[in-house]
Amino acid sequence: MPEAIEIQLKKGALELCVLALLSQHDSYAYEIASRLADAIGMGEGTIYPLMRRLQADGLVETYLVESSSGPPRKYYRLSEAGRKSFDGQKEAWSSFSGAVDQIVFGGAK
Amino acid sequence: MTREAFIARLREGLRGLPPQAVADIIADYEAHFADGEAEGRSEADVAKALGDPDRLAREIRAESTMARWREERSPSAAASAVFAVLGLGAIDILVLLPILMGIAGAIFGLAVAVVVCFFAGAVVFAAGPFVDPPGGPVTAILAGIGIMAGSASGGAVLTIVSIGLMNALVWYGRLHYRLLKPALES
Repeated sequence: MPEAIEIQLKKGALELCVLALLSQHDSYAYEIASRLADAIGMGEGTIYPLMRRLQADGLVETYLVESSSGPPRKYYRLSEAGRKSFDGQKEAWSSFSGAVDQIVFGGAK
Repeated sequence: MTREAFIARLREGLRGLPPQAVADIIADYEAHFADGEAEGRSEADVAKALGDPDRLAREIRAESTMARWREERSPSAAASAVFAVLGLGAIDILVLLPILMGIAGAIFGLAVAVVVCFFAGAVVFAAGPFVDPPGGPVTAILAGIGIMAGSASGGAVLTIVSIGLMNALVWYGRLHYRLLKPALES
C-alpha cells in the first residue's frame, strides 16, 4: 500500500488540486484552468490533457449544460471513484507535507 | 495568433487521429477561446497562454499513440508510437535514430530466422517417416519437434525483448514533452 501512496504523490499536486476544486463544486475546464493558473502557475493548455486522463481513469464524469450564449458547456464532476481517490490523495498529501514541514520548520516550532 | 489560426494549426497537427477524438479536442480549445473572450481577454492573449499549437498537437498525438501501444501491443501500434516519438523532434531522439534502425533491423532479422527455423523443424518432423533419415524416423520426428519448440521459445523471448525496448522508447519519448508535462506525469 505505501507504494501506491508514493505513486499517487508523484502524480503531482496538479491532479490533487483539480480533484479538490471539483470536490467543492462541479466546474468546467476554463474555470479550473484559470483558478490553477493563478494559484500554482500552471500552463492553461495543460488542463485539457489532464482532464482527458482523469476521465479515462474514471475519476471524473462530464455532462453538458445549456448556455445562454454559444454552445452547451462541458462540466466535470467527481465520480465515486474520483471522490475516493481524492480522499486517499488528500490523506497522503497531508501526512507527506506534514512530515516535510516538521523537518524543514521543526527547529523553529 | 488569432483563434482561427490556432484552431486550424491544431487541427492540421492532429490529422490521423480518430475523427471523434479530434472533434473532442478541438471543441475543448474552441470553448477555451470562447470563455476567455467572455472574460474580456483577446484571442492573441489566450493563444499565447495555450502555447504553440503545432507543439501541442505533436504531444497530444504522441500521447494518444502511446496510449494505444499500452492497450494493444500490436506491431502497427508500436510503429505509430515510434513515429510519434520521432515527431517530437528532440535532437537527442534524432541522434538515436540510426541506433534505433539498427535495433529494428536486427529484431526483424531474428524474427525471420525464428519463423524459418520453425518451418524447417516442421519439415524435418513431417518428412521423417518418409525419407529414411540417418538415425531413423523417430529421431527425425523428435528432432523436428525440438527445432520447432526451440524456435517458438526463441520467438517468445524476442517478443518480450521487443516489448521491453518499445516501452523504454515510450518512456524516453515522454521525457520530451514540454507542454503536456505537468498533466501527464504519473
